[in-house]
Parts: sequence; structure tokens; C-alpha cells
Amino acid sequence: MKVPLSWLREFVTVDAATEEICRRLTMAGLEVETLTRVVPGFTDVFVARVLKVERHPNADRLSLCDVDAGNAGRARVVCGAPNVRAGMLTAFARVGARLASGVHGHGSGSLEEAEPLQAAVIRGVQSEGMLCSELELGLSSDHQGIVELDSDAKPGEPFQTYLKLPDAVLDIAVTPNRGDCLSILGVAREVAALFGCKLRPPKIKGVRISREGSPSEFSFDVEIRAPELCARYAALAMNHITVAPSPLWMRRRLELCGMRALNNVVDVTNYVMLEIGQPLHAFDLRQISGQRIIVRRAGEEREFETLDGTRRALQPDDLLIADAERPLAIAGIMGGRNSEVVASTQSVLLESAYFEPLSIARTARRLNLRSEASYRFERGIDRAGQVNGLLRAAELLGALAGAKPTSRLLDVEPRPAQERRIELKLSYLNSVLGASIPVTEVRKRLKFLGARVETGTRTLVVFPPSFRPDLNEPADLVEEVARLTGLAEIPARLPRREAAVAIVHEERRFEKRLRELMVGCGMVEVKTLAFIAAADNQRFPGFVSIEGGATRAEPARVINPLTAELSEMRLSLLPGLLNALRFNLNREATAFHAFEIGKVFTTVEGIPREQRRLAAISYGDYAMGGVDHPAVKAGFFTAKGILETCFRGLAIEEVSFEPAAPSLAPYLHPGRAAQFSVGGSMLGLIGELHPAEVLRLDLEHPCVLFEVDLATLMTYASRAAVTVNLPPRFPAVRRDLALLVDSEIAAGLVLATVQKLDVELLESVELFDVYQGESIPLGKKSVALACRYRAKDRTLTDEEVNRAHNLVIEQTRSRLRAELRL
Amino acid sequence: MREQLEQIRAQALEQLGDAATPEQIEAVRVRVLGRSGELTEIMRRMPEVPREERPAIGRLVNEIKTQIEERIAVLSEQLKRLAMERSLVEARIDVTLPGLNVPRGWLHPVTQSRERMLDILESMGFEVVETPDIEDDFHNFGALNFPPDHPAREMQDTFFLFGGLLLRTHTSNGQIRVMEQRKPPLAIVCPGNCYRPDELTVRSSPMFGQIEGFMIDRAGVITMAHLKGVLTEFLRAFFGPESAVRFRASFFPFTEPSAEVDISCLLCGGSGCRVCKQSGWTEILGAGMIHPNVLRAVGYDPEEYQGFAFGMGVERTALLKLGVEDMRLFFENDLRFLRQFRSGEAVS
Repeated sequence: MKVPLSWLREFVTVDAATEEICRRLTMAGLEVETLTRVVPGFTDVFVARVLKVERHPNADRLSLCDVDAGNAGRARVVCGAPNVRAGMLTAFARVGARLASGVHGHGSGSLEEAEPLQAAVIRGVQSEGMLCSELELGLSSDHQGIVELDSDAKPGEPFQTYLKLPDAVLDIAVTPNRGDCLSILGVAREVAALFGCKLRPPKIKGVRISREGSPSEFSFDVEIRAPELCARYAALAMNHITVAPSPLWMRRRLELCGMRALNNVVDVTNYVMLEIGQPLHAFDLRQISGQRIIVRRAGEEREFETLDGTRRALQPDDLLIADAERPLAIAGIMGGRNSEVVASTQSVLLESAYFEPLSIARTARRLNLRSEASYRFERGIDRAGQVNGLLRAAELLGALAGAKPTSRLLDVEPRPAQERRIELKLSYLNSVLGASIPVTEVRKRLKFLGARVETGTRTLVVFPPSFRPDLNEPADLVEEVARLTGLAEIPARLPRREAAVAIVHEERRFEKRLRELMVGCGMVEVKTLAFIAAADNQRFPGFVSIEGGATRAEPARVINPLTAELSEMRLSLLPGLLNALRFNLNREATAFHAFEIGKVFTTVEGIPREQRRLAAISYGDYAMGGVDHPAVKAGFFTAKGILETCFRGLAIEEVSFEPAAPSLAPYLHPGRAAQFSVGGSMLGLIGELHPAEVLRLDLEHPCVLFEVDLATLMTYASRAAVTVNLPPRFPAVRRDLALLVDSEIAAGLVLATVQKLDVELLESVELFDVYQGESIPLGKKSVALACRYRAKDRTLTDEEVNRAHNLVIEQTRSRLRAELRL
Repeated sequence: MREQLEQIRAQALEQLGDAATPEQIEAVRVRVLGRSGELTEIMRRMPEVPREERPAIGRLVNEIKTQIEERIAVLSEQLKRLAMERSLVEARIDVTLPGLNVPRGWLHPVTQSRERMLDILESMGFEVVETPDIEDDFHNFGALNFPPDHPAREMQDTFFLFGGLLLRTHTSNGQIRVMEQRKPPLAIVCPGNCYRPDELTVRSSPMFGQIEGFMIDRAGVITMAHLKGVLTEFLRAFFGPESAVRFRASFFPFTEPSAEVDISCLLCGGSGCRVCKQSGWTEILGAGMIHPNVLRAVGYDPEEYQGFAFGMGVERTALLKLGVEDMRLFFENDLRFLRQFRSGEAVS
């Protein structure tokens, strides 16, 4: 809401500086977002009366004019404007005046740079100054003629004084609960309440309207068929109208408020809306048939052309204003093309109504048609302001367009407003605020807002004013008192706390550990958007852990995405990481090792699921690089090492890796991809990016990725309770075991098999070599294991170790059909 | 035999001169002292020696053996010392060369900020609770006193999902989720991501983190004064004790009275600059006393319970704290940007 200070000051006298007014409004919840200073774009321009107009002796289109600028003197000027005539009041720039916009608008726009106006000889006649157009004064783009002023302008008055300059415009961000502040009067009321000064609402005089209807020339009815959507409808017919541009002062005010001036009839309706907040509409009376206004739902009506020339599709519940035959307006939102005020209009029907906010909001949103009127109806206008608005408009139309009432005032109110009565206990107010505001202060603040207050000793009975539909229960009043008194007046205190230990969020603690582990492995944390292109979800389908394995899931789709690239919720964190990789490779990076912890979103059988994941990407030189020292490059095993470091760091044992099912990870190299699980639950996937993806992303090196389900990981991490064992007191004996197995058999299987053997004294088994080549038969490989034997209570003899090792050899051979390599 | 022994001794000692190399020394050791060396050979031939001479020859063999062993020990010691001395010169390295790269990563600045905020709040007695990103209308709007079609909803444009669900526009759904499950006293913070249909720009992102906090107890126990106290403490802990905090009246459907909370501009300290639009203040979070309608929606009696709630943007707060001006930097993941936060100290 834009509020020109000069307009505001018509309704409230406040001594404070503009900045202080802005600050107080802002602190009270009416945030002044910008304060724009309005300064004149001219000097030495005065209101002047044209005394006499003669033809220029040497030019048909020019006139010689004698002008009287009161104290600023008289002058004879040459003028080319077609509208110049004797008796008119206009703007006179005397010799020495400066115009930022320049003569004919050719100026630079800067007052400092403008050359002073000089006396000039035009076609042989001396001209002492000039009469100005609005363009030349920087008021509008109008250069059709010179400025025409109302009869109340005083010759000799400096023109900036006439324009009430300098001025300031406050742009206030009005919150949705404060529809009452969508008018100058509403903001003035706030200022009055904040500064404790008197409010002067506009006084309406000079309209004589009968409610009974004796001088009525035009009689009509209003029928409200949807009283639940229209609580009140007031209307008045006026005739003898001359449609013309509004006077300068009114156009200026509309424009300072951000509205466009059209003609005096439309401008008056807008002006009254800005001034007191009641939206109005003017119908061309000629277009209303059957002398009847019907407020009804659209029903069967399918379509309606609004005055902006657009055909709007209607829904049965949309509220319309119609006559006996056809719709004339979409109630509260926009009038119809069929009944709009045009140049030839001589009589109008003025409408001033109260429409149900939610109904207007619903229709306006559906039509995506927000007007200044609908904006106010949605937020709730003064429930009792209809007649007042109508009279104010009638008064202005009379003054500006010569309009005269030609009907009685119709005021139909099928649902009279209920008076609201709120009991506010002082103890409640102070216990919510934690303050001790005295009853006198509470009463004073509420009265300034226009509420009627009956005071008891401990309880106030408050009757909120009709223009504050947001005040319905005690909490609403507490807010009013708090914001007007000032939140700064409420003390700051810390709550009393029992000396309780803070409750630790296990998941957060776990993720903290995990992040530290990843960081320790050289991984940089990144953050990517959860929105993703559908194609990326197809390429990177993620996985959903289920009992005993994993399954694919459907993505969650956004109905109203920002762009097609962000139309689905991610199934996997990997596309985001690959984007980040590509982004950095395009910007000087040669290596990228990063991770993200975040949610992925799946829909399983229509039910959305959110799962937290850890994902990582590793590309390029990874570790131990230096001068003359080649770095270890990222590859499957560096990434697997990182993963295993995390498992170790979380004390998760027994994670088993197996080649990934290609259907599960189509984006991974089929020969270099593993799925891993713990306790039978799928934990995640790791592998090198599929060569096709490497090509698509134009990568030079292999890129390794992994993604882990955090819920599963955490389940097993939190189970890893520590049982303390003393360090062994007796030495272990190592015996190596080299096995020849089919080259197809995974080394991990060989190791796991030996590890699981139930042989007494066998403490641990480690894999230390896998060999294929010379001296190994084709189709076989050698897997070398180090077996460690130990007893708790003695040093083992060779004989004991041999016996145990032979058992291991025997069992391994039979289980793996392996040969012993000697 | 005696002569033979003396010859062995002489030859060995000659070969074990001061210039002997490690190889020569080893050769002498093997030849003379080895398992099948010259002295062993002599000992093997002892039966040939007349019985009465045997003790003398034996002593002589031992003497020579000891002498050569000692000589070898001395020489080896010398050699080691020489080698060590040589290495002091020859094994010199350029210590200014960089070390090998032992990988070390770092945390995203937004994580650092969020964790710091949560640490402070936890230390103040708040318990962290996770709540869902995908929500229904009731938990995101209805229960939070946003009636259908109400203009307040326009404050929060929404992403809708197929299936009648939506992406939460704020973490305030956390209030409802927790209150549905539990009874006061409650002191909860709900961190998480929120979503609104705004392009990724300098100031906005379609996804952003928020932390919602609320404290509820019996009527009269937790007041607006406590809201002011808690938030002032929190903001000073996070932004520094010199920060001024002010509470400005505002409107949110789910709180009443509502407040926007500003801190003194971190750049100019409150004197007014471009960043704070000359106001000296920066908006940092929204807060208020929980609206009675919200309490009613979860079946609490507003006569019985009252409390406060607040919510703040994680990225926005991080931007202010770190003096970063462009939100996009947080989601681009440019290593050259992220690197600067590697110490993890920027937000502590």
C-alpha cells in the first residue's frame, strides 16, 4: 500500500518527522518497505490565470497570452497549446525557471543540469516565460496542452506548493490480516493510535440523497439471491455526468498510489477506495435492463467478458452482479465489458457492497485475476462502510463530473452485522505477554483503534469496530495492545528450567560422526537441490531397502514445478553430485571428492517415503600425490576403502559385498559395481560410473560413486556395543595358506569361507595376495591367506598349530573344491 | 700348523686394514670364521696335532678368532659411523618441498551454521525432533490456522505433489507433528528443508533449511517475555554478544502476538549501510505466541496451555553470519568457494 504523506496528513496531524512515522509504523507491524521522496522537477513555476488570448500576428497555431501570476508578476507569453483560453488557471514558468524535463520534454531529467528559461523572441514577438504542459513539469507524459487547474488554485502560489511538494510516499507491506490498512484513512488511524493524536476522517457534505425515494426519477431494485456471499449491497444512480479527465490533483494522488488515472468517473471510484478502503463500481446506467440488480451465483453461466476484454470461464459458485437479463460484473473482482463507463456515458449506477472474503479470494485465484478491489474484499473491508463509501463517491462525482443523484439510495442488507463482544481479562493479557501493562493503557490503546470499551476492575468488555474483522478473541486484543504499546516494553526473561540433562538426538549425533569420518577421508561436503529432472531419476533410480533385499521405487512428482529440469523429487543423491562434479571440472578443478547427506523421496504403492542417504563421488587424484610422487587415483578400491573406513569408524562388522545386480544400478559399470548389505539388509551400492555416463558427462577419468541408506547403517552402528577384552598375553602363530580356486570364484567368498570355519585356535584370517599367471593353470587363481592361531592361556606348540592348520586346509578344500598350492 | 695359523692371522689382519670395504670384511669373515672357514678347517684337523700341543693350538685358534672378530667389530663400527657421517651430507633433502597429500575434507558452511545453531539450542534445553518434508494440507496449513482460500496462504506459495500431498513450506509442521504425539511441557526444535516455488537467485532458493522451535507449558508459565529472553540469548550466542536484538510486531497466522526479530546489521553494526538499506537492522527470524487456534487444532485447551514458537532460515542466517551475499553459492558447490570454510571455525 502506497501512502503519500501529504494525503495522510489530511486525516491526522502528527508532529513527528517522516522517519519517525516510518519507524513507529514498522515497529507496530506495518512495515514501511521503502520511503520515496517526491520533489518538484522545476523551479520558478507559479499558478497563473490567463487573462487574455490573441492570435499571434505571424503564426496561425500560436497565441499571445497575458497571464497574471499574482505576487509573481504579470507577463505576456507566446503559447502553442490548443487548450489555452482566457480565464483558465494554469502553470506559468517565468524567465529564469528551470525544468528538469525541459521544454517539450527534451530535458535531461536533472534539475541541476537544466538551463534557466530565457526570454525569447518567437516569430517576431517577445515571450516572457512559458505556460507548461504536464510533461514539461514532469507530472505525466501528457503534452497535448497546458496544465489546467481547478478553480481553487490561487494565482501567484508557487506551483510546488499547489502540488503539496516536497512529499514522501510510504510503501507499506500490509500483512494479510490488516485489510483495514489498505486505505489512507486506515493508515492514518494507525498513526493516530501510535502517536496518540486525533483522527479526522473525511467529512461528507454537499450530497442530498433520499432513502425514501421522493425525488426519484429512476427506480430500481436490488435482489440478493446469495445472501451468504453478499451481506450488504448499496447502490445509487446518478446522471448529468460529463466524462472527462480528472483534475490534476486527483490524478497525481492516484498515480502516487500506483494507480492509473482513466476518467473522472472511474478515478472517483478508485480514489474513494484508496481514501477510505471501500471498493466501488460504476455501471453505465444505459446498459442495465429491467431496472434491477441481481446478486447471484453464476450457476449455468459459462463465460463472461470482463472490462479488460478477456473472456473468463465461470464456475457455478462464482458470484455475479447481473441485471434482469445478463451478468454485468464478476462481483468484487472486475466489471463487465458490457456495462463499463465510456466517454458517452451520462448516467451511472454506483455500487458499494460487502462481499464474502473467501468467495472473492477463491474466484480471483482461480481466474488469476487480482484487482485492487478483490485484494481488499479478500482481506475484509469495513463491514459497515458501504453507504459511507457511496456517499463520498457521489459527493466527488458531483464536484468533478457534475453528477446528480437520480434515484433513492438503495441499501440492502440481508445479513446485518453482529456486534462482537470480547471479554479481555487483564490477567490473561499480562500472563501471555509476561508483562504488567496497566488497565488504563490497555483501554487507551483499544479506544484509539476505534473499539468501544467497557471497563470492569479486572476485565474489559471490548466491542471491536466494524472495520477490524480480525479481532474476534482475547488473543487478538492482546496482540493489538502489545504492538501499540511496543514489543520493546515487554521484558526479556529466561524460562526457569529444571537442571535436566539435554535430550540428545541420536540420529543427529550419528550423522555428525559420519560426516567427520567422511571429512577425515578427504571428502568435501556439498549441498544440492532435492528437485531433479525426470531423466535423471530414470538414469539413477536409487534403491529402496526392503526385508531381504532392495527394490526400485517410483519418484514423487511435482504438479507445479519451477522448470522441467526440477519436476521430480530425487530418488538418489548421485545426479546432484555428478552435477557438482561437472560444475567444478568446468572451473579449474581436476579432482573432486565430495559427499552429501540428504533425503531421497520415493513413492511405494502411492505412499511417499523419505529416506536419509549418504552419497559420495570420487574422481581424479585422490591421495599421496607430491613432487615426483604420483598420487593414488580415485578408483573402485579407494572408494571402497573410504566406505570401509566409515564402517570401521562406526564399528560395523560383517558388511558383505557382492557384484551388484545390473537392474539395480544401470548407471554403474556392470563389472565394477557392488551392492553391500549387513545382517541381510541392503545397505547400498558402490561402483564405477558406467562408461556410457562417462561419455555423456565428458569425463577423462573413471568416476566412483557410492550411496548408503542411513537408517540401515544407523541400526547396525548403534548395535555395536563394546565388549572389552584384555590384550592377549601369549603370542600368535601365523601360517599361510595358498589356495588354487576357479578364477570365477570371488576372493571375498574364499576369505569369508575360511573365516567362518569353526576351528579351535584359529583367531583371524586375512587375505594378502591374489595371483594369476605364470605357474598357475589357466582358469585358476591363487588366493593367499594368512591364518593366525592363538590360545588364551599358553604359548602354542608347533604340533598344536599344525593340527589346527591341517583342519583348516582340509575343510577349506572340501568346501571350496580348492587345491592347495605348494 | 702354528705357522699356518699365523699366516691366516696375518692375511686376515692385512685384509682388515683401515680401508676395508664392507664386502671385503664380509669375505674375510666368511673365509676365516665361517662354518667351513679356515679356522673351522683347522679345528677339524685337530686330531692330527700331537696331544700335548693341542691345548696351545686351541688357545691360539681362539685367540685369533677373537682378535679377528674384534677387529671386524671395530671396523664395522667405524664403517657405520662413516656411513652415518656421509649420510648427514648426502641424504640432505629440500625440506621446503610440499608434503604428500593426505586427504582431508571439510563441511559445507550451511551444515556448520545449522549444527552450531542446534548446539546452542540443545544447550538451552531444546530437544531436536525430525519431521517430514512431504506433508498434507492439514499439517502444513490447516492446523496452523491457514483457512482454505485465505490470503495468508499467498504468503507461502507451495509445491504440490501428485496424490494430494505437498512439500512443506516451513518447518512449522513440526509443531503439529510433535503436539499430536506429546503433551507439554515441550521444548522442541525441528530442523529440516522447506520448499517454495522461488527460482534459485541471489536471495531465494526453491529449497532451503529452516529451524522451528517451540516451548509450551501450562498457561502463564511460558510468556512472550520468555520468547524475548530465549531468542535474545540464542542470537547473541550465534552472532556475538555485541549484537543488538529488536522485536517488531508482525503477522503470522499461527502466532499471536507475532513478531519479526531483527539484529543489528552485522556489517555496519547498526549505523546504516547498503546491506541493511540504511536501517541498521537485519531481519533474522519470525516468532510469536502460539495462536489459540493452533492449540485447538491438536486438541490442546488454550485455557490450559500456552507457549511460543519461532522459525528461522538456515541459509539466510548463514549468509548473514558468513558475510556471503549470494544464496546460489550454497548450492553450486564450487570448491573454490567451499574451501574457505575448511577450518570449520567461521561459524563457531
